[in-house]
Amino acid sequence: MTTVERALDHRRNGDRDDERVDGRDDDRDRDDERDGDGDRGNSAPTDRRALDAFDTERWVGVTGVALALVGVGVALRQPAMVVAGAAAIGYGLYARLGEAGEAALALDREVSDRTPDPGDEVTVTVRARNVGDAPRFDLRIVDGVPPGLEVVDGPARVATALRPGAGVAFSYVVRASRGVHEWGTTRAVVRNASGSRERLTELETPTRLTCTPELATGGDLPLRGLTTVSHGRVPTDVGGSGVEFHATREYRRGDPLKRVDWNRRARTGELATLELREERSATVVLLVDAREEAYVAERPDADTAVEASVEAAGAVFTALLAGGDRVGIATMGPRDCWLPPGAGTDHAVRGRETLATDPALAPTPADDRFYRTLWRRRFRRRLPGDAQVLFFTPLADDVPVDAARRLDAYGHLVTVLSPDPTVSPSRSPASTTPGRKLAAIERRERIRTLRGAGIRVVEWGDRSFPAAVASASGRWSR
Amino acid sequence: MSAKGSRGSESSQTRERDARPPTLAVVVSLVAAAVATLAALVADPTGGAVVGASAVAFAGGSLLGSARVLSWGAATGIAGIALAAGFGGGAEPLLVAGVAVAVAWDVADHGLSLGRQVGRSARTRRNVAVHAGASLLAGALSAGVVYGTYVTAAGGQPIAALALLLFGGVVLASAFR
Repeated sequence: MTTVERALDHRRNGDRDDERVDGRDDDRDRDDERDGDGDRGNSAPTDRRALDAFDTERWVGVTGVALALVGVGVALRQPAMVVAGAAAIGYGLYARLGEAGEAALALDREVSDRTPDPGDEVTVTVRARNVGDAPRFDLRIVDGVPPGLEVVDGPARVATALRPGAGVAFSYVVRASRGVHEWGTTRAVVRNASGSRERLTELETPTRLTCTPELATGGDLPLRGLTTVSHGRVPTDVGGSGVEFHATREYRRGDPLKRVDWNRRARTGELATLELREERSATVVLLVDAREEAYVAERPDADTAVEASVEAAGAVFTALLAGGDRVGIATMGPRDCWLPPGAGTDHAVRGRETLATDPALAPTPADDRFYRTLWRRRFRRRLPGDAQVLFFTPLADDVPVDAARRLDAYGHLVTVLSPDPTVSPSRSPASTTPGRKLAAIERRERIRTLRGAGIRVVEWGDRSFPAAVASASGRWSR
Repeated sequence: MSAKGSRGSESSQTRERDARPPTLAVVVSLVAAAVATLAALVADPTGGAVVGASAVAFAGGSLLGSARVLSWGAATGIAGIALAAGFGGGAEPLLVAGVAVAVAWDVADHGLSLGRQVGRSARTRRNVAVHAGASLLAGALSAGVVYGTYVTAAGGQPIAALALLLFGGVVLASAFR
C-alpha cells in the first residue's frame, strides 16, 4: 500500500466514524420525538457499567442515639425524652429504606458546532432521561468533557431527582481548541432517598468534535544547503544556472552564450563562463517535540509549547510547500505520527489534517511511555537521506538537544525552532520566580550547546514566529 | 520548574467549579436549625440555648466544608434536646425540635456532598428540595406515629410500658435488614 493510499484510507475511516456518530444521534433525535408523543420508556438506555453500591455512613449511630435517649428518658422518668428518642428511631428506619440502583439513563449530547474553529465557544447540551422503572431521588451527572477542551461557562454537571420517564437537560460552553476531541465516560451518581447508599454508574455516549485550524501563511524560513536534485528555491554551492554569482570557469563548448563573461573576453581575450548558484528544492521534515516534557506553558492556563510548535510548523509547512519543497511531518513522542515528505495540493490537505487532528499532537500529553532509542531508530529509518530537519521543541530538557545533535551528525542538517515557555507572563519582577529563572538559564545553556555544535536555533516567546525568523535569518550565513 | 504547565484536564476541572455547598442547601439547613432553636426555647430556655449553638455549628460546617463540624453540630443539638427534656420540657415542642435538628444536619451534609461532586454553580435546586422534603416527611411521619402512640397509650400507663412499646419498635427497625 502506498503512502497516499494509506492516507486516503485513513481519511475514509475518519469519515466513516463521523457518519456513525451522526447516524446514532439521528436515531436518538427520532426517539425523542416519539417519546414526546407519550410513548415513554421505549428508548434504549445508554450503554452503562454500574459499580457496586456502598454505604456512605451518613446515618451511622442514629439508632444508638435514639436508644440512649429512650433509656435515659425511662431512667429519669421524662416522657418528652422518651418520645424524642423514639422519633429518632424513625430516621434509623429511613436510612435503611431503599437501595441506590443503577442509573438507567438515556443520554443525549448535542454540540452546537461539530467542526468549530479554534477559540470558538461551543455550547454542549446534555439531556438525560430516566428510562428505568424506579424513581431516582438523588441523581448527580458529571459529563466526561474531553481533557483538551476548557469549560468556560457553567459546570458540566447537574444534580437532580428524576421519576421514571422524566428527564433533565443541562448545557455548558466549551472553548474549542485544535484537535479531535472525544467525550469520555459520563458518570452518574445515584443515592437512595436518605443518602445512606451510593452507587456510581458510568455511561458511554460518544460525541466527537473536530477542530481544524487554518494554517497561517508563514514567514520564509531560510533552509540549510542540503537539497535534492530537483529545481527549487534553496541556493546551493553547485555551479550552474541560477541568479546569484558563484564562480567563473573556462569556457567549454556548448555553454550558453548568455553566460559567457564578455567583460573578461574584452579584457583578456579569453572565453570564460559564469557559474551561478544552482537553486534546488529541499526535502524537509518538520519534527515536533510532543513528549510530555514538551507540554509546558508560561502560565497554567496558557497554550502549551506543543501548541505553539504546531502553529509554527503549520506556517512553515505552507510556506515551504508553496516554494516547491517537499515537506513531511513527524513527531517526537510516545505516539507515532509520520507524514512522508511530499508536494502538491493533496499533500497540503493531509499536512493540515495531520497537524490539526493527529492524536500524537493532541492538546494534552499522551499517557504512554516514550522510548527515545526506539524512536530514534524508527525516525532515522524513515527519514530520506537528503532530508533536512526542522525541529520544533521548547528545549525543556536535554533529550531534544541530544536528538538534534545526533541527527545533524548523521548528515540531516537540523534547524531548531524553539518556542520559549520561560518568558514571564508580565514584565513585573514578582512573576519571575526562582524556578522560572532557573528553567530559563538551563534552556539558554541548551541553546548555546546547539549553536556550539553548528545547529541553527530560532527562538520565539512573546513576539511572533515570523518576526523571530526574519530577525534570525539576517544573522545567518548560508 | 515553574514554567511547567499543569495538565489541561486537572486545571480545567478545578477552574470549572466552585466546590462550596449549594446556597439552597445552606439556607434550608439554617432555617431548620432556627426552627429547632425556637422550638427548644419554647420547651426549655437552657436546652434551647444549646440547640442554638448547634445552629452555629451547622453554619460553620457549611462554610468550612467540614462534615465533622456538622456531626458535632448534630451531637450538640441532640444534647440540647436531651437537656430540655431533662428539665421537664414538653414533648410536642421537643419532637418538633428533634425533627428540625435532623433535617438541618441532613440537608447541610447533603449540601456538602453536592458541593464536592457537582459544585455550587451547577443546577441542584430540585435535588436539594427533594432531599429536604423526603427528610422532613420521614421525620414528620416518625414523630406523628410516636406522638400518636404517646397520646393514646400514655394516658394512665406508666412510662416503662411506653418505653417497652417503643423498644418493640426499635427491634422491628433493627430486624428490617
